[in-house]
Amino acid sequence: MRRPRTIGLAAVGAVAALVAAACGGSSGGGTSGSSSSSASAFNAAVTHVVNPSTHKGGTIIFDNSTAPDSTDAGNTYYAFNLNFVMLYALPLTTYKSCPGTTCGNTIVPGLATTLGVGSDGNKTWTYHLKSGVKFEDGTPVTSQDVKYAVERTFDRGVLANGPSYFASLLAGNAASYKGPFKNRSKNLMALNSVDTPNSSTIVFHLNQPFADFNYVVAFPQTAPVPPNKDTGANYQNHPISTGPYKFQSYQLNKQYTLVPNPQWKPSWNPQVKQLASKIIVNLNVNANDIDNRLLAGDIQVDQAGTGVQAPARAKILSTPSLKADSDAPINAHEWFYYINTKVPPLNNLHCRMAVEYAYNKTNMQTAYGGPIAGGDIATTAMLPNILGFQKFDLYHALTKPSGDVAAAKQQLQECGHPNGFSTNIAYRSDRPREVASSQALQASLASVGIKTTLKGYTAANYYGTFAGVPTYVHSHDLGLLAGGWGPDWPNAYGWGWALYDAKAIVSAGNANISELNDANINKWFLAMEQTTSKSQSNAYANMINRQVMKDAAILPAVYAKALLYRPPGLTNVYVQPFYGMYNYGVLGTK
Amino acid sequence: MAAPLDVAPSGGEVAPEAALAGVSGKAIEGRSLGQIAWMRLRRDKIAMAGGAVVVFLILVAIFGPLLVQNPNIYHANLINPTFSRPNGPFGGISLAHPFGVEPVTGRDVLSRVVNGARVSLLIAFLATALAVGIGVVMGVIAGYFGGWVDAVIARAMDVFLAFPLLVFAIALVGVIPSSAFGLSGNSLRIGLLVFVIGFFAWPYMGRIIRGQTLSLREREFVDAARSIGARGPYILFRELLPNLVGPILVYSTLLIPTNILFEAALSYLGVGIIPPQPSWGGMLSDAVSNGYYSIDPMYMIIPGVAIFITVMAFNLFGDGLRDALDPRSIR
Amino acid sequence: MVTFIIRRLFATVFLLIVVSMITFAIFFLIPKLAGQTSYQLAIQYVGRNPTRAAVLEIEDKLGLNAPIYLQYGRFLKAIVLGTHYNSGTSTTYCPPPCFGYSFKSQQPVWPQMVSDLPVTLSLAIGAAVIWLVGGVTIGIISALKRGTLFDRLSMGLALVGVSLPIFFTGLIALELFSYKWPIFPNVQYVSLTTNPLLWARNLILPWFVLALLYAALYARLTRAGMLETMSEDFIRTARAKGLQERTVIFKHGLRATLTPIITIFGMDLGLLLGGAIITEVTFSLHGLGLFTVEAVQNQDLPEILGVTMLAAFFIVIANLVVDILYAVVDPRVRH
Repeated sequence: MRRPRTIGLAAVGAVAALVAAACGGSSGGGTSGSSSSSASAFNAAVTHVVNPSTHKGGTIIFDNSTAPDSTDAGNTYYAFNLNFVMLYALPLTTYKSCPGTTCGNTIVPGLATTLGVGSDGNKTWTYHLKSGVKFEDGTPVTSQDVKYAVERTFDRGVLANGPSYFASLLAGNAASYKGPFKNRSKNLMALNSVDTPNSSTIVFHLNQPFADFNYVVAFPQTAPVPPNKDTGANYQNHPISTGPYKFQSYQLNKQYTLVPNPQWKPSWNPQVKQLASKIIVNLNVNANDIDNRLLAGDIQVDQAGTGVQAPARAKILSTPSLKADSDAPINAHEWFYYINTKVPPLNNLHCRMAVEYAYNKTNMQTAYGGPIAGGDIATTAMLPNILGFQKFDLYHALTKPSGDVAAAKQQLQECGHPNGFSTNIAYRSDRPREVASSQALQASLASVGIKTTLKGYTAANYYGTFAGVPTYVHSHDLGLLAGGWGPDWPNAYGWGWALYDAKAIVSAGNANISELNDANINKWFLAMEQTTSKSQSNAYANMINRQVMKDAAILPAVYAKALLYRPPGLTNVYVQPFYGMYNYGVLGTK
Repeated sequence: MAAPLDVAPSGGEVAPEAALAGVSGKAIEGRSLGQIAWMRLRRDKIAMAGGAVVVFLILVAIFGPLLVQNPNIYHANLINPTFSRPNGPFGGISLAHPFGVEPVTGRDVLSRVVNGARVSLLIAFLATALAVGIGVVMGVIAGYFGGWVDAVIARAMDVFLAFPLLVFAIALVGVIPSSAFGLSGNSLRIGLLVFVIGFFAWPYMGRIIRGQTLSLREREFVDAARSIGARGPYILFRELLPNLVGPILVYSTLLIPTNILFEAALSYLGVGIIPPQPSWGGMLSDAVSNGYYSIDPMYMIIPGVAIFITVMAFNLFGDGLRDALDPRSIR
Repeated sequence: MVTFIIRRLFATVFLLIVVSMITFAIFFLIPKLAGQTSYQLAIQYVGRNPTRAAVLEIEDKLGLNAPIYLQYGRFLKAIVLGTHYNSGTSTTYCPPPCFGYSFKSQQPVWPQMVSDLPVTLSLAIGAAVIWLVGGVTIGIISALKRGTLFDRLSMGLALVGVSLPIFFTGLIALELFSYKWPIFPNVQYVSLTTNPLLWARNLILPWFVLALLYAALYARLTRAGMLETMSEDFIRTARAKGLQERTVIFKHGLRATLTPIITIFGMDLGLLLGGAIITEVTFSLHGLGLFTVEAVQNQDLPEILGVTMLAAFFIVIANLVVDILYAVVDPRVRH
């Protein structure tokens, strides 16, 4: 069902964030939650807006060491791209553009006039579209365009990326709907669980209560697409814009250029800005080159947003003036190892707890890149910026960071393997951090007698063919499996359902790789689907987090961090917590 | 990869030294070609130096891993966690770690280089053996029998030479699943590399041997053997093969360094030996892809120099061997 | 002469077909022999993070369940006649030569290769000129001045040159001349038509790194060949006829020496045109070599297949050209 999100790795620090509704400029109303200090200091952009400005003009150049999975907003899942498409796409809802988790993780209306309200026990969701919104060619946006945008994501042969919540949540004929491309005359607008009673109203009928549906429609899959201009797999060459910028040109996998969309009005989406007069994105550039160009001021942003490489890191951290222009935010990502609960002897809780006590937390952190480029030592299954997070440390990660051998040995006694046992560690062999961390894990487990064999797989097939296939995991005795995760939306459900709920286990592309089936956790997720009370949601978040760790289903490694560099000429730079990198929708130049 | 083997002068004439030896008054002893070659080789100091290094490297590859520490042990305490680089100058060189330690992991570089030597030389020797084996057999058959046999084999050589070797190796490694033919992990990978390198390199040897066989076939001693009733197999084994030993030896020795470079290149591109097993190319790849060469240059220089010295030694020795076996060459 | 060329052309076409068959067999037969199912094969064709449904669709669309010879037939037909691909709302025509459609990068393979080709061409031909002229000249001079300091020095350096791995020299060159002392900063490919001066300047470092290896090799080869030729009988005859030494060397000796060198040069250049992989990876030049490596990293089967065929094509064509040149120069070969 839901696939783990791939975050583009190995990228240069992202540059400037666009102005968020924080200081000055057009605001989306409400408090911004950030001070208007614009002083540049290390980590300044994590808590407030650096260089706030309304100055228009200039060119912003983005470089990326890879390429987006697609520039088609309805066909993407990469974090940096969900961030970037806001420049030309307008989903029904979106996140408030401001730094800090209390402000930045708030969901606000986008194309819709207000957040959707659930009726019929949260099984029906109705949205009213803002009036006067147009495509870049002047055609008015209607609710049919939004329905079409959702429909086209059902054809996985044409649009293979992107989350699949609509396919699993919508009622009616959604289970058998194959999309509007094949047999177009019959299938166009044929998805009967999405109603468009008039051109400015859209109604979604779900097959189960789902309190978080506003988060689901925040994905750019709901950004309107005109059916008569849709070219399927080629739509990515020029998506029709409903945002402040539109496509001027696109050389696939090489470069694309955006220019201001003259039709756009700020009232359509206060969370983005139209400041620069040109935006250029260069793709597949060498990662070290990106760093050098960023530091030299030849480019402004590293689009992938996962931090600079080791040489640039050394340079930045040892030069005070450069350090003041950099930030090390939590990258909205956690690295961890799944501990499978079905592969013996890890099916015994105490054997799993032994592993949790035994591993060397500091070595793990070093393997992922150390405290600044890797992240903070993680002690919980969930990220700190998930709403409702509370900190705890069950396995002495902070008090005994090199591992608690004594406690581990005791757990080994209790699980009946006093001298240790054997199992296998699965990891992605083309991810250098996982190569290093799996070796670190192997080394530290060996010190208590747990013998492991490393089994590497290529990232491209990891979830689809190996780790994400439970039968493969069982037949190959994969007890520990490397993983990483970013939330689909910033609450415990958006983070954890696919990871910890027993219903999420599927036969291929599985993300609940621990195969956790804890009745309490299942119950709490079910309750979260039905409650709309924020405090209740937050309470469940904490309970689920604790229970997962008590079940020892996850071996947390680090809360990922990235060292980002922001060139001084960029304005409105701040870290948008949901993406864990600078907000690309508000950037400008001096 | 470029064609590594130089155009070969052929051997086989009687050396003048044999005649000179009689001048001093002793009984004239005929010397075998082998003895003459060895004498000439001994006099070539540079080649002997190369040979000595080769022997040393082989010893290191065989016995080295037993003498150094475990190459997979982490020493995270020797790493600066902020910069992920080793503490201390020159990549953390110390008595305990004569070549320093790796960035991020803190693993001992000396033991990784020594273990890498074993892997590199193993693959190079096996691949060369495969290439030589197939090449000699094909070359001799083509050269001796001629006619349509020769034509078919020559066309087959054309086909193999038409394959872009590096492209093919990379692609093949990418296509084979991680466990196949009863092997998995590094044993499968090593088998694959040996197969690809050796199987596609046989035409180089094949062409040379075919040429040699063609010219030898017309020699008088073959006619002489035939005239006394010797038949095909006898001529092949007793007359032709001994005279081919020279070129076979020389070109094997010159093929080995090419294969070492080839394996290093494949590991550098990420399709060679699977980590954590050390390999020279893999260490270079590590240094580059993570940018460590900038903050810890020794980590890149050491395996690079190791490859360089190995390849150079084999080249020097091979050159000297070729000159020794060819009496017409005057240095 | 004409019959010779025609014969060679036929042989070339035959060779290309055989190569295509073997390539196809290796990419589709061997994985099957190694136990891979067509579902697993389909995964390598589909985009990133595919759902099971998407993979099954692709498996069906590409006919991966069909017998090998049918798949090969389709593959060959696409190259010669072109084929159609369904992009959802319409079908796109993929004109010949159609090396397939990459679902991961969502475009046909051939246009991608064509756009990467100029980079490889610039790199290969530029380096080839440098190494041919440089290497051969040094080789000739060394042979003529055998035993002198020049000879020993140049041969020593040549030996060093062939023993250094290209990626090592490339890395050191990059670190020293691009990062540490920014003599050639920002080595990025600029197309010849955009800015010839910048094009050349940015390619100088890769040219010399690539040429170093080959120049060393060719210097050694030329020297050895020259030495051997100069000791041949016909040279002695030429001298005996009273010809000037210069005529002897350049008119008679050089021709005999260079002919085998040209053969090898043709093969080397043909090989490089398929992608100077290591140089391109080290300097991040987006040519066919980097394309190959990225295709393998993405496990993108259509791209891997396409670039392998293209590289083989270049080698075979280069061989053909060299053979014809050889026949022009040496009439004995024509029969």
